[in-house]
Order: sequence, then C-alpha cells, then structure tokens
Amino acid sequence: MDDERPTSPPGSIPDTPMLDRAQQLRGWRINKMAMGLGEPENRHAFLADERAYLDRFGLTDEEVDAVTQRDWKRMIALGGNLFFVLKISAVDPVRMTEIGAAQVDMEHTAFLRDRLGKDG
Amino acid sequence: MAHLLAGLGTSHVPSIGVALDRGQQQSPEWKAFFDGYEPAQQWVRDNRPDVAVVVFNDHYNAMFLDRVPTFAVGCAATYAPVDEGWGPRAIPTFEGHPDFSWFLVDALVDNKFDPEIIQEIKVDHGLQVPLELFWGRPADRWPVKVVPIFVNVLQFPIPRPDRLYELGHALGAAIRAYDSEERFVVLGTGGLSHQLQGSRAGFTNPEADRAFLHDIATDPTKLAGWTREQYVETFGGEGAEVIMWLVMRGALDDVVTVLFDHYFVPASMTGAGMIGLQNTLR
Repeated sequence: MDDERPTSPPGSIPDTPMLDRAQQLRGWRINKMAMGLGEPENRHAFLADERAYLDRFGLTDEEVDAVTQRDWKRMIALGGNLFFVLKISAVDPVRMTEIGAAQVDMEHTAFLRDRLGKDG
Repeated sequence: MAHLLAGLGTSHVPSIGVALDRGQQQSPEWKAFFDGYEPAQQWVRDNRPDVAVVVFNDHYNAMFLDRVPTFAVGCAATYAPVDEGWGPRAIPTFEGHPDFSWFLVDALVDNKFDPEIIQEIKVDHGLQVPLELFWGRPADRWPVKVVPIFVNVLQFPIPRPDRLYELGHALGAAIRAYDSEERFVVLGTGGLSHQLQGSRAGFTNPEADRAFLHDIATDPTKLAGWTREQYVETFGGEGAEVIMWLVMRGALDDVVTVLFDHYFVPASMTGAGMIGLQNTLR
C-alpha cells in the first residue's frame, strides 16, 4: 500500500462522469431506450419514427432534445452512459472519435490531433 | 490435475473487432497493432490451450442496470456473440465448459467469493476481441473452450482491486485442483488507459500504461493496493477496467516470466496493452 488517501466518491474525479448511484438513476430512461437498440425490431422502430420510439421509454423533453439533436455531451450530462448511447451510432452512424470530440467541444480533426496524437 | 499454462492480458477495444471485420489488419492505422500479437499467436499455436478462463465485463449488451452482479460465472454450454447494435458479428459461437464452471463456482463460494451463476447469456466484444487476438478468427469453430467470469467495472461500486487479485488466487487454486489433464490459460482483459466521456475524453496515459505492463509482472501487490479512484485518475474513467488483469495475475505464482508483451497507442481512443506471463517455477 503506497497510498493512504481516503476513498473519495467517484464523482469527485475531475471531468470524469462515473456511473454512480445518482448518475444511473438520472440516466435510466435514456439508457433503457438505448439498450433497446440491441434488438433489430427496435432499430427499425427508431428509424421509422424516432419520437414514437423515444416516447415508449418516457423520456423528458430535455432528454428527447438531447437524443434527437445527437447532442452526445448532453446525453452524458443527463445520465446517459457511453456504452448505452453508443448504440444510437449503430442506427445513425457516427464514429467513436466524433462522439469523443463532442464531449470536449472540439472539432474532430483537432480532437484527433491534440488528444490522440493522430494527424489528419 | 489441470495445468495452468499462462496468464494472458489484453485490451478488448471494440474498434479492434471492427478492424478485423473489415480486414484492416495490414492498414497503416492497424498494422503495428496486429503485428504485435504475432508472438502471442505463435505461443498459442505451440501450446494449444484447451480452456480459456476469460475475465471481462459486459458493456451493457447482454446485461442492463436492472441486475448488476459484481462477479458472475458463466456455466453455459455455449455463448453466442451478442447483437451490440450492428447485428451479431460473424464469428462462431463459443463453446463453454459447464463442468469446470460449476467446479469453479463451488471453489469460489468455499473461498467466500459468492458469484452470480449464469446459464444463458451472450457475450460481447469484451470476450470476443481477446479470443480473436490470441487465437485468430476460426472459420467454423473455436479451438478452445471458454469460461467467462463477468466483473462489474462500470457501475459504482465496482470491486476493489485487491479483491480482484484475491479472486485470482481462488481461481488459480481451483484450476490446480481440477481433476483433468486439460491445459488452461487465464485471460485478463480491458484497459489500458482510455476515457470516452466527459471533458477528459480522449485522455490516454502511455507512461502509466507501460509502467502497468511492467508492474503486473513484477509487482502485482503494488497494483492490487491502489484504490479504485487511483485507477480512474491514472487510466481514465473507462480505463479503470484494467483492474480485471489482477484476477489473471492473482491466478499465477508470485514469480513469473514474461513470455511476450506489446503496447500500441492509440487503438481508436485507447492505450492498447498485451502481455503473456508464465509461472517461473513449473
């Protein structure tokens, strides 16, 4: 044991949303909706009438806005977890690195270059 | 008694599976990554393990938040690839080993670990990608049986790192006590550093990753002594899952020999690490 720091709640680590009790309760509706996209018939329903699909899960207006605008940063802020909301990119293709860039309000190529050290 | 040939550690990034699906192993972006696994694949061809105990986490593909087991042991006869949103990947279904799985469950409960028992479940990239990396993708059937150990590393409270190391001790003892001539490997998967969400997204920590690859061989008790919060800070919100390697390491002796290792950054957004460890006294 080289460190005797007291255990701090995970939410206290800067700029790092963790799926703790509060976050998973807040995000339940978004996450449940996104989990459904693992089923082909739900992906068809999402593509055919996105609003009707979202309404099945009782999303709030704010949550509906975040999802329909593909606002990846707000979805996370509202309690969505990346591994759930990533399934939206299976029906409406977006690269993982684009979702990452959206988290930090960066343009995609700048994100690749500055955070991941990739050119072009 | 069964033989524990080695412990293998690897990242399980989903983009690796996508690269395999698209046949991009020789592309400029991926060649150096996949080339790094050649010594490991050669070792697997030479040593032909019969059973792989795979320590990994489901990424909310087969399990939702309605039930969150801290530890679970797969006891099924087969594990099909799960649909993660893009349809199930075109890889063969994995064959399980229910007899060892139940033996392991008994051994864990006797050792005061109390896992959930799972007899019907599909598996996501967390298990698929490590099998593809070490064995290559077979045409019709996998040449190794799998025993999945699922660990919750996503929803807090996640288990303590030292607890995972101790789980590895119990796993190693169970393999050594199993009445069989089968040849086992234990896979620790996940990590290394990455963060996918929040304003620290895109964070990697190559220096810490390289130190981890060194310490997992030579000083695992140091890594087992870190707090969960140290893992999150050092390896990123999603990178903290690297604690699952401690189960693999705990199954081995205190003194191990490094068979091969590799590091590549970034695989998609992740510092991707790999290692093979063998008990020095065999």
